[in-house]
Amino acid sequence: MIGAMMASSYNEDGHITVSGPGGGTLRSKKPENTAFKQQRLPAWQPILTAGTVLPAFFIIGLIFIPIGIGLYVTSNNIKEFEIDYTGEDVSSPCFNCSQSFSWNSTRPCTCVIPFYLEQPYESSVFMYYGLSNFYQNHRRYVKSRDDSQLNGDMESLLKPSKECEPYAMNENKPIAPCGAIANSMFNDTFELFYNDPNGTKVQIPLSNTGIAWWTDKHVKFRNPGLNNPNLTAAFQGTTKPVNWRRPVYELDSAPDNNGFINEDFIVWMRTAALPTFRKLYRIINKTSNMVPTLPRGNYTLEVVYNYPVRSFDGRKRMILSTISWMGGKNPFLGIAYITVGSVCFFLGVVLLIIHHKCGNRSNSADISN
Amino acid sequence: MAKESVESGLTWEVRANSCHYHKPKQKKSFLCFRWGRYADNLLRSYKYSPLTFLPLTLFEQFQRVANLYFLLMMVMQCVPAISSIPWYITIIPLITVLSVRGLKDLANDMARRRSDAQINSRPCDVLVSQSFSTAQWKDLFVGDVLRIHKDQVIPADLLLLCSSEPHSLCYVETADIDGETNLKYRQALSATHNELTSHPSEEALAAFDGVVLCEEPNNRLYTFRGQLHWRGECLLLDNQHILLRGTVLRNTQFAYGLAIYTGTDTKILRNCGKIRVKTTRTEKVFNKVVMGIILSVLLAALLLAIGSGVFSSWVMSHTGVLTPLVVGGNPIYTGFLIFWSYIILLSPAMPIALYITFEVIHTVHSKFIGWDLEMYWPQADKPAQARNTSLSEELGQVGYLLSDKTGTLTQNRLLYRQCCIAGEIYGDASVRAEDVEPMDLSWNPFSRGGLFMSAPRLVETLRGQKCPLSIQFFSALSLCHTVMAEWKEEAPVYQAASPDEEALVGAARELGWVFLSRTRDFIVVSELGVTRQYQLLALLDFTSQRRRMSVLVREPEGGLKLYCKGADIVILERLQKDCPYQERVEKALELFAQACLRTLCVAVRSVPEASWEQWSKTLAQSAAMETCDREAVLEKLYDQMERDLQLLGVTAIEDRLQEGVPETIALLQQAGIKVWVLTGDKKETAVNIGYSCKLLDPDTRLLEWQELRQILQSPDPGVSFSKARQTDLWVVDKERAGAKTAVVLSGLELAEFDQRPEWGSTFMRLAEQCQSVLCCRVTPGQKADIVTLVRKHTTSVTLSIGDGANDVNMIKTAHVGVGIAGVEGGQAVQNADFALSQFRFLQRLLLVHGRWSYRRISLFLRYFLFKTCSFALVHIWFGCFNGFSAQSLYEPWFIALYTVFYTATPIMLVAFFEQDVSAESSLKWPELYKCGQRQELSSPLMLALSLLYAVYTSLVLFFIPFGVFYNTAFDYQTMAVTVAMAATFTAIIEVVLVTKYWTKFNVAAVCVSFVLFFICTRITHSTRLFQRSPRDYVFIGASDKAFVNPVVWLTALLTAWTAVLPSLTAYALNVILTVRDKQKVHSASNQPMELRSQMRRGTSLRRSSYALSQGARPGRHIISATSFRSTVPTVDEKVTASNNLTRPLSAFK
Repeated sequence: MIGAMMASSYNEDGHITVSGPGGGTLRSKKPENTAFKQQRLPAWQPILTAGTVLPAFFIIGLIFIPIGIGLYVTSNNIKEFEIDYTGEDVSSPCFNCSQSFSWNSTRPCTCVIPFYLEQPYESSVFMYYGLSNFYQNHRRYVKSRDDSQLNGDMESLLKPSKECEPYAMNENKPIAPCGAIANSMFNDTFELFYNDPNGTKVQIPLSNTGIAWWTDKHVKFRNPGLNNPNLTAAFQGTTKPVNWRRPVYELDSAPDNNGFINEDFIVWMRTAALPTFRKLYRIINKTSNMVPTLPRGNYTLEVVYNYPVRSFDGRKRMILSTISWMGGKNPFLGIAYITVGSVCFFLGVVLLIIHHKCGNRSNSADISN
Repeated sequence: MAKESVESGLTWEVRANSCHYHKPKQKKSFLCFRWGRYADNLLRSYKYSPLTFLPLTLFEQFQRVANLYFLLMMVMQCVPAISSIPWYITIIPLITVLSVRGLKDLANDMARRRSDAQINSRPCDVLVSQSFSTAQWKDLFVGDVLRIHKDQVIPADLLLLCSSEPHSLCYVETADIDGETNLKYRQALSATHNELTSHPSEEALAAFDGVVLCEEPNNRLYTFRGQLHWRGECLLLDNQHILLRGTVLRNTQFAYGLAIYTGTDTKILRNCGKIRVKTTRTEKVFNKVVMGIILSVLLAALLLAIGSGVFSSWVMSHTGVLTPLVVGGNPIYTGFLIFWSYIILLSPAMPIALYITFEVIHTVHSKFIGWDLEMYWPQADKPAQARNTSLSEELGQVGYLLSDKTGTLTQNRLLYRQCCIAGEIYGDASVRAEDVEPMDLSWNPFSRGGLFMSAPRLVETLRGQKCPLSIQFFSALSLCHTVMAEWKEEAPVYQAASPDEEALVGAARELGWVFLSRTRDFIVVSELGVTRQYQLLALLDFTSQRRRMSVLVREPEGGLKLYCKGADIVILERLQKDCPYQERVEKALELFAQACLRTLCVAVRSVPEASWEQWSKTLAQSAAMETCDREAVLEKLYDQMERDLQLLGVTAIEDRLQEGVPETIALLQQAGIKVWVLTGDKKETAVNIGYSCKLLDPDTRLLEWQELRQILQSPDPGVSFSKARQTDLWVVDKERAGAKTAVVLSGLELAEFDQRPEWGSTFMRLAEQCQSVLCCRVTPGQKADIVTLVRKHTTSVTLSIGDGANDVNMIKTAHVGVGIAGVEGGQAVQNADFALSQFRFLQRLLLVHGRWSYRRISLFLRYFLFKTCSFALVHIWFGCFNGFSAQSLYEPWFIALYTVFYTATPIMLVAFFEQDVSAESSLKWPELYKCGQRQELSSPLMLALSLLYAVYTSLVLFFIPFGVFYNTAFDYQTMAVTVAMAATFTAIIEVVLVTKYWTKFNVAAVCVSFVLFFICTRITHSTRLFQRSPRDYVFIGASDKAFVNPVVWLTALLTAWTAVLPSLTAYALNVILTVRDKQKVHSASNQPMELRSQMRRGTSLRRSSYALSQGARPGRHIISATSFRSTVPTVDEKVTASNNLTRPLSAFK
């Protein structure tokens, strides 16, 4: 639109003769009498009065507060259970394991954490791991990956991007997957057991698929050597990330969850926004309508403790949570809505008072006219 | 000789006809080196040559801090170690800005080059080896002898050597220099006249080998000091002998002159002033804010960098995932890099798009000015024109209007409207001149029209010869003047030194008393068809002290008559006792004064033969005197003759104002604008115009120099005391005349300000309380000085308006220069920022376009600051939660598109179309204009508030999503999309609140921006783009998931709403509180503006002026041979020269 205006103005100033129906006569410099040029475009000029402005505050307040209450209730209905298993405390079962600061200790350290669920979890349950004080949003960390490589590009596989430094090459071999994010992949494993009241220990099946985004799994991450069933061959000439125990092609036995498209790996690679975060670890699918997914009772969590966090004052957690339409438990949003709604309402009242004080005067002005 | 001349300051040496002497000393320059003395006559107003264009334009553009800043940003973004956003995000807009500006400057420069070339190639006749050949102006050189033809523009400052007229007189029109359209006389030295005209002129001129010693080139238009050394004689030179560049030779067949100053040395070019780049006040405030933002960004970056250093050292001391990532393992080096990264990351707070948009908006505003039909002048087919496109908002803040008079306020047409003869008033001034029924003057073969007076009764009286007084009245008008008649097509064409005289003689011609011709001793007049020849015995000249002139003639019948015309006070006190009609005439004078007409009294006296003989003897004696008091003696003699007069009548002349001038001035004054008049004209004329255009009220007290000087001088150190005295003065005034005071100054008096700079501020404080200030007899340079004075001592925006070359300097000096595209040369328009065809269009330009423009641009700037800062500052808060690592919270593509695609169009349309009140209301309630003068919308405080609001918004934009996403499974990309969404929503809601004038474009733009955000986000997150370049489009799928997530939506909406809540509250408060104010404004000014044109004027304030332009005795040239018959011309010249040297400017008093 701006371009059009410029063009016409050029004609205006440049005395360009217009060969219109009148023929090639020199145009008078008289400006055109159009609404646009005379700045008389038809326009809606809302005349706002206190009567139209003030209700807006009350209406917004009245909308926000119920939304907030709804959100708060929904959030409260979500059942959530969280265990910090960092093992800082001597009494903690994981204290021993946490003393090792190394990534590649030869012997995996396992700790067993018993806990009690006071309420039965009816629907599907999401199992998360949570990390604190872990700056997954640090720029140098976020940059330290090669999306081309992860997308299955053969060239990038063997020549990782510079961004991956210092995790691009190891012993003159390209690292696959390269970069600090991949290198620091979360490698604790959880196993959950239900301690039946009759004494048996039932392992609860944890599903490790469906935890990653569809686009990630199917578009963003792809194994090199398209459709090559032999991943080992596809990753020929690369080496595993320094901190990893196994190469990338041995992450899982299932071929559609191995290599770059391993869902645990994909979830890790989707970096968190803030230094305290959760990541989906497993899903405990609802099996039947009759039995709750996780009945009330005693449980045991067996953690293979590999991931060192104490070196940087980090914390590790395991979270079990049911979900609703708004995802996990999130009381903040509800409270925020209620607060802002109340502020709106309050402002409305204040403005109303101000209006009443001045309104009288404005009425008198009307009369004097 | 040389020594002497150096002592007297006459160091400029010009040798006639000696090219070889001057050529080697020609002024030359290479880069910044300059040498040589004499400038060539080439006009160079252009700046660039093909070689220098690129470096110069780049140099100029990078003087703008912003451009330099962007360049730095771009360079930094190319460094991979610190680049937090890709480099291409800055370079494309930067190159656009630079090239658009550069091309615009180039185009302007080309236009200047063309107009220069046109002037430089004007032809003129130069004497080359004994014959004149045509050359171009640019080939002229100091020492050349030129021949100037009639109606030719004079190409350089010349010494007049001789002319084709007797006594080597010549006439010049100085309209381009001082705005006066009447003719001025110049006369060559008698020595050169006698020697050079006696022989065939070309040979004599070629042999002329005089040496001129004079002052160094300067800008004083009305003085010249010099000597001509020729044939062993030393002759004094003064302004009378100089023809200035830019003046036009009139009524003279040829004039020969010697070039003294050429090119940049000429007085007119010295008066031109420098081209300065004008920036608006808003822009200046804004630039300060930009500097503030840059500094804050630097500070924030520094703090964040320190934070980063601390964080890095913490990371170093704890083995963790990040430890190997610390650059070089050195926290300080990391902090250093992070500093630059944050500067880049925060740079969108001050985006380059702002400057592009700013230019576009200015351009559109300028177009609107050009498109306005109400400012189109159909007679000349000229629309208004904004030549400088970047000043439009300044028009909304004008505090001082400094106006030229001639051609700007007045049409420079003097019309004979009324007269009073023998107590009878003829004509009616209440009828507009255009509406006057033309009288039937077909009986008069010499009638050429142009009389705007309808008085059939007068014609009857005259033709019937019923009233001897009326016959004498018109005889006086046709005889008592210094007009020259030139015959063209069987009719006399009058050339007058003063337009007043021309009007009087013209009126007499229309009514049958036709001045046919004059020779040295005779005046031929056709009286109702009878040709009579009067012998001219003496011409008693006009001076500004005498304020009258007389002629002594011998009638064909043999009687001696003295006809006298002059200001009423002077004439009335010289009347014979118990003169009839005196009372009625005085009443008529009052009436005329009320109608703002200029009046002159006309009187006659019959002189007895005896007294004439005696008088003429004494006159001849005293004229021969060489002493300085000759003037005084002459004056006394004249006084003896001009007494016992018999009053014939009064003439009333209307100085035609431009259409709508009084209304416009009244409206502008209501809008709080101070209107000053600066004119090269005389004080009387200026004051008269002041009254007639309602600048001064009838009861306005005029504060003249004497009084003002006292006030300014009074107790020297104590400005405070003098202030007290002033207030005394004002108190007295308030009681008497309602503080209506106007200051009247003349150029000479203004010159004192140069010596006493401390008076400036006192004067301005005084002037602020005055109704107006009139400055008369000011040179172009002084006009500019006054503008500078106002600029220096007030914070107001000044606007100069003028039409002639003499206004160029002040037009350039003022914040805003407006040129009236009038009859005079287009120089004013060439140098002006805005060109109008009529003075009255100024009200629309200021009150409508200026006001709107100011409002629009202020809104735009504030909104832009808000939107970009709130958007960019988020990174500071995010930095606290990502280890101060300069991680961006947005996708790079969002950063690139946000300012341009998602949020630019709606605010741009607001800046194009916003109208708080319509054009009609703006003119109806001029008080609304004061908002701009007080800078209510763009004050530093307002901008600071916007910034504060932006900081609040950035906090909200970060911390609400932070609360929602803390310790959840939401990833970085989802949060980025959420915050981006919230930022876009905030910007859109805010622009909705700003917009008060919803055209369909505004609605469309808001909708489009909204939709565009979603479309563009989806596109940049699409699979296809990712597959093409996986590293650049890593946000694949982020928005697909986010846009269907209710938490994201709820968060974004809550964030946006919370962000705009303060603005909304302020808006609501505004609505509640201003309803009252608006009604007040409406009720206060609802009565239509009343013009006090019909107001009575106090009896004592009757004005009369004898408006003869040059005080310097114009009659002398005409009758020099008659009245000074016995004097030796050479002596006379020398004496005059020395006299003039001692009191160079007294003539203008």
